Amino acid sequence: MALRDQLRIIVVDDMSTSRGLITQALDSFGIRQVESARDGPEALAKIAAWPVHLVVSDMNMPGMNGLQLLHALRSGPATRTVGFLLITGKADRQLIEQGKQLGMNNFVPKPFQPPQLRAAIEAIVGRL
Amino acid sequence: MTDPMAEIRASFFIECDELLEAMQDGLQAIDEGSGDGETVNTVFRAVHSIKGGAGAFGLDALVGFAHRFETALDEVRSGRLTADGEVLRLFFTGSDILADLVRDSRDGLETDEARISPVRDALDRLVPAADAPGEADTDALDFQPLTLALDLGLDDGAEQQADTATWSIRFHPTRALFESGNEPLFLFRALRDLGALTVLCHDDEVPPLDAIEDPEAPHAWWAFELSTTEGEAAIRECFDFVEDLCQLEIRPLSEAPVIALPDPEALGAAPDAAPPGTAGREPPPEADPAPPPATATPEAGNPGPAAATPRATVRVDLERIDRLVNLVGEIVINQAMLSQSVEAAGIPPNSPVRAGLEEFLQLTRDIQESVMMIRAQPVKSLFQRMARIVREASATIGKEVRLRTEGENTEVDKTVIERLADPLTHMIRNAVDHGLESGEAREAQGKSRVGTVHLRAFHRSGRIVIEVADDGGGIDREKVLAKAIARGLIEPDSQLSDQEIDNLLFLPGFSTADEVSSLSGRGVGMDVVRNAIQALGGRISITSARGEGTSFSISLPLTLAVLDGMVVRVAGETIVVPLNAILETLALGPQDIRSLGPTTQVVRIRERFLPLFDLGAELGYRAPLDDYTGQIVLLIGQEDGASAAVVVDAIEDQRQVVIKGLHDSYGRVPRIAAATILGDGQIALILDPVDLVARADGRTRQPKPATDPKPLPENTGLTA
Repeated sequence: MALRDQLRIIVVDDMSTSRGLITQALDSFGIRQVESARDGPEALAKIAAWPVHLVVSDMNMPGMNGLQLLHALRSGPATRTVGFLLITGKADRQLIEQGKQLGMNNFVPKPFQPPQLRAAIEAIVGRL
Repeated sequence: MTDPMAEIRASFFIECDELLEAMQDGLQAIDEGSGDGETVNTVFRAVHSIKGGAGAFGLDALVGFAHRFETALDEVRSGRLTADGEVLRLFFTGSDILADLVRDSRDGLETDEARISPVRDALDRLVPAADAPGEADTDALDFQPLTLALDLGLDDGAEQQADTATWSIRFHPTRALFESGNEPLFLFRALRDLGALTVLCHDDEVPPLDAIEDPEAPHAWWAFELSTTEGEAAIRECFDFVEDLCQLEIRPLSEAPVIALPDPEALGAAPDAAPPGTAGREPPPEADPAPPPATATPEAGNPGPAAATPRATVRVDLERIDRLVNLVGEIVINQAMLSQSVEAAGIPPNSPVRAGLEEFLQLTRDIQESVMMIRAQPVKSLFQRMARIVREASATIGKEVRLRTEGENTEVDKTVIERLADPLTHMIRNAVDHGLESGEAREAQGKSRVGTVHLRAFHRSGRIVIEVADDGGGIDREKVLAKAIARGLIEPDSQLSDQEIDNLLFLPGFSTADEVSSLSGRGVGMDVVRNAIQALGGRISITSARGEGTSFSISLPLTLAVLDGMVVRVAGETIVVPLNAILETLALGPQDIRSLGPTTQVVRIRERFLPLFDLGAELGYRAPLDDYTGQIVLLIGQEDGASAAVVVDAIEDQRQVVIKGLHDSYGRVPRIAAATILGDGQIALILDPVDLVARADGRTRQPKPATDPKPLPENTGLTA
């Protein structure tokens, strides 16, 4: 069993196109255990019911942004150590610094191609 | 299988439409002063999301513009720029261009760079040079990925062992397994050959020996844990011959992961977990391998913040819906046929059969209504397009115009919305161009300088009404009359009522603007609008008050799938005439008919002479009659506001009929709009009355010598 068969990921993005694209990319890496949520609160609820290893989240979302979701995850005892990959259109120094403080595992600037996503995930969890 | 990327791409453009709509709403709210801090965020996010998706599909033109737009919006978001006046107008224009870029990207077209670049430059000027959108800071970001110790039972060191996995297998043999002589023990041995195997027999349900009545019945089941480098397929292979003779569950069993997956029990999310104390004979607890909770309700008992999730929707191919609409139409027809045969069979009205049929009828109506609802969409998207038309039209001719909309959530059939866009655009342009006076003229009359166009949608007695009203000068009837006379459209000494004068606007080619403006153009007049509305089964009317404005009112059926029709008989055939075309019905007396030449007759109705058409003759079912006295005529409203009298033999019924298009099988059939199936199973043609009159030769009297009746419908072989 390869890592990719066991890895559970939730994709969080308010745009269904992005969720589709990321899920499609993950599928092409052989990662099939994938859930998705359209915002932070939905993601937290789904993770509570279906624990995951890695959260792949968009930054800019209505209500709760990606870093706020990261903060919520790190504050929850059950989700404190979950992996967190931020996808952001605006990868500026301040944002990345903030992410680092909160314990972000890695980030991918938008737009990205599937190999970049794969590399970013492998940098967190190891070879897929 | 369809290409998943193509599907995502298609859904991206649908999502873009939603985002553009949200952006329009946001800008509108800011314009009206009803927005709050979140409004500009919504607008920003819409542009940002479009950019993000466009980037993934390599739509560079779209990405480029969205990026500038986003950067400018960010200035507002961060409070360095206020969105009002010129800036807001620029944002509106920007949103229009963004919409164009989305559309062109979807259709694979190039967007006119000359239109984009001035707006793009203007957007750039809103942003201080320091953080102007060049390629953002390219200096290396100081970030090291944080790795996770994600030991899922893998040994990274040895490639060979890396794929050893533990599986949970549950095996419930059925009686048939034993009856067919299979020995479970052999299966277990085969499993053992794959790797390290633990076997646990669940014999709780094995009865005491003396109570066993059927020794061949299955009483026990087994649970295994198997650590193997082989995959699931190899495990399944062991059970190859008994696959249909047992219940088999094979699931991957992860080693306790280093990464702290929350204890499901602690979260109360595993109601089916074994209660403590019964675990003695159970295999070790598994990391829940259940499939993703696609249909789970996360709200139930979960501590997560209540998610204010939008209403769940599914996107469905329109073709599927149309198939459903069609099938429901079949049910309606079937139901009517059944009713007729039940009646014909003489079954008494109070019988259970009739009562059941009555319920069936009610259900059928409900289904029909629900299915129509699926095709219905709010007119909002249409109204937003009109907001853009007003912006562009008013900018072109330099009038200040405000569009007020009402009833945006009124729902209409999707096709009606699509086909309404062109006529409505034309009406809005007309209102801005011809309806409203110039700012100076308005001020001179004590009106507000800014003209208003009011766009309103609402339901009225099973139809939808859309009104386009302006608060301009109203129709100058003297001018209209003079123009109509000058163009030879009416007789110079015609005495027309105000309403009749207003209706002259619908005459082909009529235009009241003294000069053809760049906006309204030449050749496309209200007659085209009227045709388009009538093609949708609608009616358009006009009211106007001097100095106060003009209002056009369009009344449309809620759906294009059914039609209110009058069932008539002529020359032994049954024909359905759309009710909305019929102004009046009457019986002809001898004094009503006048001859106009050897082959033509007219009818005199309330001091007006109308051309008389024999439906039977026009459709080629019979030769013209010698005498039409006592015949029934339908007065059919014409495009030019005049009417024509159409002779039929009898009126049978007035009812809703399900429209069955002929276009796919026969192409365009002259004089015929479509067909339908009546309650008795008979096929009837639905008349296109306007086309009938337009093509008619008006021969209502047998010429001598008699000629053959003309064949109809033209080479389609259709007869009702």
